[in-house]
Amino acid sequence: MLNAEKLEILTESAKYDVSCSSSGSNRVNGHGGLGNASVGGICHSFTPDGRCISLLKILMSNECVFDCEYCPNRRNADVRRASITPEEICELVMGFYKRNYIEGLFLSSAVFKSPDATMELLCETVRKLRQEYKFNGYIHLKGIPHADEALVFKAAKLVDRMSYNVELPSERSLKMLAPQKTKSSLLLPMKDLRDAIIYDKENKVRRNRTLPAGQTTQMIIGASSETDGQILKLSEALYRSMNLRRVYYSSYIPVVQSEKLPAVGAGLLREHRLYQADWLIRYYGFDVDEIVGEGENLSPEYDPKCAWALRNMHLFPVEINKVPLNVLLRVPGIGAKSAYKIIEARRFAPLDFDNLAKMRVVLKRARHFITCKGKFYGSEGLTQIRTSLLLAGQSEVSEQMSMFSESSVALSALTGEV
Amino acid sequence: MKVFICNGTPQCFFTAVFDAYRETECIISSASVQIPLGGTVETVFADLEKSRRVQAKINAYDGEAVDDISLVLRSCSPLKEQVAFEYIKEIMRRKTAVKKAFNLPQVVDFNDLLYKITGETHQFKGFIRFMECANGVLYAPYSPDNNITDLLMPHFAARLGELKFVIHDVKRGIAGIHNGKEWILGYAGATEIMLSDDERGFGTLWKKYYKSVNVSERPHERQMKRSMPVRYWKFLPEKQN
Repeated sequence: MLNAEKLEILTESAKYDVSCSSSGSNRVNGHGGLGNASVGGICHSFTPDGRCISLLKILMSNECVFDCEYCPNRRNADVRRASITPEEICELVMGFYKRNYIEGLFLSSAVFKSPDATMELLCETVRKLRQEYKFNGYIHLKGIPHADEALVFKAAKLVDRMSYNVELPSERSLKMLAPQKTKSSLLLPMKDLRDAIIYDKENKVRRNRTLPAGQTTQMIIGASSETDGQILKLSEALYRSMNLRRVYYSSYIPVVQSEKLPAVGAGLLREHRLYQADWLIRYYGFDVDEIVGEGENLSPEYDPKCAWALRNMHLFPVEINKVPLNVLLRVPGIGAKSAYKIIEARRFAPLDFDNLAKMRVVLKRARHFITCKGKFYGSEGLTQIRTSLLLAGQSEVSEQMSMFSESSVALSALTGEV
Repeated sequence: MKVFICNGTPQCFFTAVFDAYRETECIISSASVQIPLGGTVETVFADLEKSRRVQAKINAYDGEAVDDISLVLRSCSPLKEQVAFEYIKEIMRRKTAVKKAFNLPQVVDFNDLLYKITGETHQFKGFIRFMECANGVLYAPYSPDNNITDLLMPHFAARLGELKFVIHDVKRGIAGIHNGKEWILGYAGATEIMLSDDERGFGTLWKKYYKSVNVSERPHERQMKRSMPVRYWKFLPEKQN
C-alpha cells in the first residue's frame, strides 16, 4: 500500500487547485466495472476550510522543471519531493472509491523531465485505470502546457474533464511570473479540445466521447495588478469562445516569498465578489460591461447585482406579478430559485408581500426594488436604500473591526449592528 | 375533534384519509399525540380498497402526487401525516396539481418535508462510508434522520456493480443488502463484523488525505458544518480521532 508520507506531500502540493466539482458527466458503469458518474456531482466530505472533497486530488509528482514564481513546487523551492507510480494511483483510487470516500480522481502533475514525458505518464495512468482496472468513475485531468497534442487527444477520450489553467489574467503577468508557460501553450490545446468536443457532438459520437464534462480553467487573483474588470472580460471571452464550463478564481495566498509577488494575500471578499459576478454573467443574463468597467474593481461594499441596481434606479421598482423572468432575475436579492418560485406561484394567484415572505424569498435587499400588487415596501430615498443595503450585506463580509477599518465597516459601529 | 391513529404505512395512511375526509376537524398521525379536550380516538386499519380509491382520485388530478406523498411519509417529522393530508385536501379543493403553488402554506410545508427527504438522500450518496469485511463484503452503518435506505440502494447498486454490500440504518434496524446482482431490504439488529487486512491502512490514508487537502490559511468551519452537519460525523472515519 502507498506510503502515507508520499500521499501527504503530493496532496499538499495539489490542494491549491480550486476545482473539485464532479458534475457534468453521466458515464455509466460497464460489465464487471466499478463506478459511474452522477450528472449533478456528489460531495463526499467537507474540510475545515469549508471546501468540499469530491475527488481524490493528487499530483503524480511535485518535481518540477518549471519555475513559476507563485508555485510552492517550483524548481528552486526547497520542499519535500515525491513521485507516485501509475499502479499506486490506481490502487489508491480503487480502494478509496469502493469505500465511497471519493467520487473520482483529480490528477495533476508538476512537469518532470519534459512536458511530453509528464503527459505520457498521466495518459498511461488514466488508461490503466479505465482499461485494466475498469474504473468508470469521474476523472478530471490537468493538461500539461507544451505537451504533444496526440497525447492530449488520447487522454481526452478517457477522462471526463480536462483543464488548462490560464494561471494569470494577462499575458504580461504570465511572462513575469510563469516564464515557461506562454499564452499559446495554454490556449491552443484548449481550442483543440473545444473543437474535438464539438466534432463529437455534431457527429453524435456515443462511445468514448471526448470530455463529456467539458473543460474548466483557473486563475490566481491578486498576485498581479489586473483589475476585476479585466479579469471578468477574460472570463467572458473564455466562456464564449472556449465553451468552458467554469472559470475558477483563487485568491492569492502568499505561500512563497518573492520580490515579484505581493506580501499580503488578496482576501476572500474579492474572490467572493468575482464569483458573484461570474454567476451574473452565466446565469442571470448580464454583460460584463454592465457589471464593471474595464479598468475598475468590483465594489467591496455591495454585491455586484446590488451595485448595478443602484446605478440603474430608474428601472426600479418592478411589479413582481407582471415582469418577465429576465427582469425578475435582475432584482437584487432574488436568485434563480426565488425567481422560479415567483413565476410558478403567480399563476395561481397574485402575490403580496406576505406571500413572498412565506415562500422564503429573501426580502432584505429585494424590498427596495419591487412592488407587490402595486404596493412598495422599501425605504424612501436613495441614501436610505444604500444604508439598509449596506447593513443587509454586513453578514457576508463580517470581520473583526480595527482602528483602521474601511468606512463600510465603521458604519456598523454607528448603527450598533454587527 | 377526531384523532385518527395509523401505523405508519402508506396503505394505512390513505385509508385514514378516506375515513377522515368528511370530518370538519381532525388529525391523522402515527406518532403519539396529545388528545385534544373532548376529542375521540379512532385506530385505523389498512383497507386496500379505500386506499386504492383515494390514490386513484389523487392520480386523476396530479400524476406525481402519490409518489411525492409516499416520499413524505418517510419523514421523521411527527406531523408528516397531517401535512400530507392537508396537501391532499388542497389538491381536491383546486382539482389540479398544486405542487408549484408556492404561495400556499400547505404546499410550503409539504415541499419542506419533501426536500428534506430528497436532500438527505443526495447527501448520503456522499456521506455513506463502507468498510471492507474479511470476506470482501462492504458494510456501511449510518443513522439518517429519515427512512431513506431503499432510496439509496439503486444508486450504490449501479455504482458498485458486482461488489456485495450492506447499508445498515442502525437507528431503525433496517438494512439494504446487495448480493452482486440484486438487492433486498430487510431487518437487522446489532451486527458483528471482521474487517479485512487492508481496511485499517486505507482508513489511515484517507484520514491523512483529509488532513492534507485542507487549506489552513483560510479556515471556514461554519461552512463545513453547514454542509456536513455534526450529527452525521459519527460514521465518518475522517472525523474520528
